[in-house]
Amino acid sequence: MVPISLFLSLAAILFCIGLYGVLTRRHLVIVLASIELMLNSVNINLVAFSAIGPFANISGQVFTLFVITVAAAEAAVGLAILIALYRNRNSIDVIKHDLLRW
Amino acid sequence: MTAFDANWSLMTPEIVLAALALLVFTIDFMTGIHGKKPFIGKLSVMSLLVTAVLVFLTNSTSGQIADVFVVDGFAMIFKLIILVGVAMVILISMNYLDRNEEIYQGEYYSILLFSALGAMIMVSSADLITLFIGLEILSISSYCLVGFKKYHRHSTEAAIKYVILGGTASAFILYGMSFLYGLTGSTSLRVIGEAMPQLFADYSVMMTISFIFMLVGFGFKISIVPFHMWAPDVYEGAPTPITAFLSVVSKIAGFGIVLRVMVFGFLPVYEEWIFIIAVLAAVTMIVGNAIALTQKNTKRLMAYSGIAQAGYLLVPIAALPFMGNFSLSMILFYSVAYLMMTLGAFAVITLVTEDAGTSDLSSFAGLFQRSPYLAVAMTVFLVSLAGLPLTAGFIGKAQIFFGAVSADLLWLAIIMIVMSVVSFFYYFSFIKQMFMTEPKANDKELQVPVSLSAVVTVALAVTIILGIMPNFLLDIFTTLNWFALF
Repeated sequence: MVPISLFLSLAAILFCIGLYGVLTRRHLVIVLASIELMLNSVNINLVAFSAIGPFANISGQVFTLFVITVAAAEAAVGLAILIALYRNRNSIDVIKHDLLRW
Repeated sequence: MTAFDANWSLMTPEIVLAALALLVFTIDFMTGIHGKKPFIGKLSVMSLLVTAVLVFLTNSTSGQIADVFVVDGFAMIFKLIILVGVAMVILISMNYLDRNEEIYQGEYYSILLFSALGAMIMVSSADLITLFIGLEILSISSYCLVGFKKYHRHSTEAAIKYVILGGTASAFILYGMSFLYGLTGSTSLRVIGEAMPQLFADYSVMMTISFIFMLVGFGFKISIVPFHMWAPDVYEGAPTPITAFLSVVSKIAGFGIVLRVMVFGFLPVYEEWIFIIAVLAAVTMIVGNAIALTQKNTKRLMAYSGIAQAGYLLVPIAALPFMGNFSLSMILFYSVAYLMMTLGAFAVITLVTEDAGTSDLSSFAGLFQRSPYLAVAMTVFLVSLAGLPLTAGFIGKAQIFFGAVSADLLWLAIIMIVMSVVSFFYYFSFIKQMFMTEPKANDKELQVPVSLSAVVTVALAVTIILGIMPNFLLDIFTTLNWFALF
């Protein structure tokens, strides 16, 4: 049987990759995808705890379903705003959106 | 008790508000997407007031639904604050929307109602899943509202910044929550709270990580200092009434869940986090007030002022283990005061900046000659925000100060006083513009719409009444049954 620490490490690595992507990538679609990666690492955590955790029960999987749903809603709103931004500015490069600062 | 035989009637206000929000949405479809729709605005205000009455009535039977949703004194006060706040935001919006044709009015009002619903679910939740769903209903509605001027470059830029940083903050909160669930096998805050001392003894590293991650996420939502960078940008780009919404309703609801998580989940192990919160409060007050001094744009200035005010509200949380219910009463009194003075100030700011076409501080030049009533009211709000006597802000701050002193946090209390003095400078820069500067040549007398002057008058009355007779509200708080679960 695979120990739970492997799953938790995988989730931690994915979370870090996602955070790195949010902080460094210039393409807004990739930034949004990185946020999805962070949310999915949480799902791995929850499902791992739910299946082989110290108190394995079903509510972790229920939580995961809610997280997936909310992530989808957030992605929908995020992409809609992205399109509005692209129509206004003709660019989705993070660096170019600097009207608001200090 | 399972979900099937639970007392679902406790949820009446939420269900009614959801139904009314859908009704508003449907009426919007039936009347065509464009054009002015003042009746929908009025209907929205009515539905919020109806819900507020229902919240007040259902509270006589405090209870819970399967450990997931609790109705108690704490939730009632927060819900009333949220509902009144959103109603006032809608009243401020009405005139603003008529001037900005690109905003679809019906959608705007119904999304505001849904965000009020999310905030209500949030402050009533006693379970991680419910808490997260409420938080996301509020957040996703806020993302839409910030980007509502969709042909406006600042608005969309603010919205995309908010979506990205808000989504990251949600991921942080969830990552922290996943450890709480994994190590207790339950998502209920009550069960988590009972297991907490043992958990911290057994898995102290994992629990510390979990706490820090949740703190980062919640800190983002209430904009405290290391996580505040989004606030000025989003506040500046958003439509002005939405700036008011974010700085009042969303922030107070955020404090609601922070308190829930702290009181239910983490209070048994307060030695672990109390110092972190105290330091964050100090840093938030110092940085918020210091940067506000340099601002020339009213909306950015109010953003930094809101950050500083969040710092004041954190002080009672740091005093929570020593003061108990008194701490809650301090937070809620200051929240009511903050709601009234900030919304009043934003009502004036909305009208003045929209009339000038810029949100620069100079748009306030000579406001006293253009509209004496607004200028005097704005002065009272600013004086209250700065915390001078005879206003609600003073009583709130004095209470927080004495609470901090009696909880042995004298250093924090002193920082708070010093920073309040610093805040006089930037609040008085408004007053200087209004009274000591001549209006610009082509500025005429301001026409004040009825809905907006109603908000200003209500906010003015409450700010002054609470400043003179605070016992009016404090007596309610001392007799309140705060938490039903304990």
